[in-house]
Amino acid sequence: MPSEASLADPRASGDSAAAPPAVAAPGRTKIAVKGLDFYYRGYHALKNVNLEVPERQITAIIGPSGCGKSTLLRIFNRIYSVYAGLEATGQVLLDGENILDPHYSLNRLRTRVGMVFQKAVPFPLSIFENVAFGLRHHIKLSRGEMEDRVEKALREAALWDEVKDKLHTSGLGLSGGQQQRLCIARAVALRPQVLLLDEPTSALDPIATGRIEQLLSDLQGEYTIVIVTHNMQQAARVSTYTAYMYLGEMVEFGSTGELFTRPQRRQTEDYITGRFG
Amino acid sequence: MQSPRGLIFKRRASNVVSKLLGTVATLFGLSWLVWILIVTLLNGARALSPHIFTDITPPPGVEGGGLANALVGSALMSVLGVLIGAPLGIAAGTYLAEFAERRPVWRESIRFINDILLSAPSIVLGLFVYTIYVRQVGHFSGFAGAIALSLIVLPVVVRTTDETLRLVPNMMREAALSLGIPRWKVTVQVLYRAALPGILTGVLLGLARITGETAPLLFTALNNQFWSGNVNGPTASVPVVIFQFAMSPYDNWHSLAWAGAFVVTMVVLVLSVGARAYLLKNRMDSNA
Repeated sequence: MPSEASLADPRASGDSAAAPPAVAAPGRTKIAVKGLDFYYRGYHALKNVNLEVPERQITAIIGPSGCGKSTLLRIFNRIYSVYAGLEATGQVLLDGENILDPHYSLNRLRTRVGMVFQKAVPFPLSIFENVAFGLRHHIKLSRGEMEDRVEKALREAALWDEVKDKLHTSGLGLSGGQQQRLCIARAVALRPQVLLLDEPTSALDPIATGRIEQLLSDLQGEYTIVIVTHNMQQAARVSTYTAYMYLGEMVEFGSTGELFTRPQRRQTEDYITGRFG
Repeated sequence: MQSPRGLIFKRRASNVVSKLLGTVATLFGLSWLVWILIVTLLNGARALSPHIFTDITPPPGVEGGGLANALVGSALMSVLGVLIGAPLGIAAGTYLAEFAERRPVWRESIRFINDILLSAPSIVLGLFVYTIYVRQVGHFSGFAGAIALSLIVLPVVVRTTDETLRLVPNMMREAALSLGIPRWKVTVQVLYRAALPGILTGVLLGLARITGETAPLLFTALNNQFWSGNVNGPTASVPVVIFQFAMSPYDNWHSLAWAGAFVVTMVVLVLSVGARAYLLKNRMDSNA
């Protein structure tokens, strides 16, 4: 396993010559992906992906449908391992430890890496219990402490003021945007270090989307956020770093401003200018 | 080449004919049900009296009497049948939907076998329990009847549990798992809650199904003319009493059989309609 020092310096990682170089991100690297391949029942879905996700920043992954951006995200908390026939090889280092190592406890990984999905899926429980659910499993808290943690999570997700008077009604009674913020509250309640978002606003209207984007920029600094989006404007609006993927390969990674104004590769330029094809 | 007008006429005509055929077929099918219900209701209502629920089955040639022992026996065996069959069925359905993903051939084989059990003639199930249980212990019993009934409940509950759990969106599983919660806890605390209306409906439909079953009880619970709280001995049931009384030459027994038919039909009707209404209401609530 490489040392922390070599992780901070991307040039030290011995990538093969064929792979595009991982762009160095300033600041500490939270997740380092090295030579990652992913197979979906024999289909080679990710090809030698290298990426360094900087800590406490928002990193967006963009690319056309089927390019593997969601697949990559779903490796970061190993949620893919629920299904049979899926296999990841290579390394994904979270704070220098390889999470693909079978000895890396799923329990530990998932309390560190939270996830929010494309469609808001509140559990069929009250708003309070939705947020408390994960906490109850992991830590013993007194009633008062639990109430504090739930309130804090709902405040972080900018939902508290809207639901404080109906905490014990069903989470299914909320609007789509509120449900998605409830899912964010549910994820941040465990105080993870990384927050993964898989097209979190694709089912929301522009106003609800705006609120979520505002929320994300409030949360960065606190969490390392990785967001997958098919909406390039969204990536440009919310993220500090952007990765462009195409056909299972990491084409380009860099600061969002650079990538959108001075893309280094022709493929990236074609995609962001809409000349894709 | 047909004129446009001819084409329109042809389409309209075939539309009218298929609508007509569909309506006639539906009415034909439903008319039998309505007929059965009307005859049962008319004859049953005429035979109904408070004695049905308080007095036990009378001996031949004696006037009066009721079905109290049979009603209690039926309720006892049906509830016991559900208590045995439903937990097994829920567990098996959960296994199929949630835990058998890595063994698809095995899973599909179980589903196939379960479907066969679902359509097994109930008299065969009765004979099966007769062979493996009644013959071994040497006497008929209400408990044997309950086992036979549980074999009818089992595949119904397996199927509905399996299907309702598969209707729960995968994202809900993933959302719960991504909080670091183990699979069994996700299933019990989240998925069961989401699937509860469907599972409960399956159990109620299973109960409705066995309440009117006669064949599995003939070789297992037999019958009993007297009060008996003993599940380990022969136990009376409404369907078997109907079966015996309807074939007898006594008018009083005939009338009691009608009353029994009426009561059983109403119970099954209320259970089935209630279960489906409950499911429908929950589906609409969750879509709102």
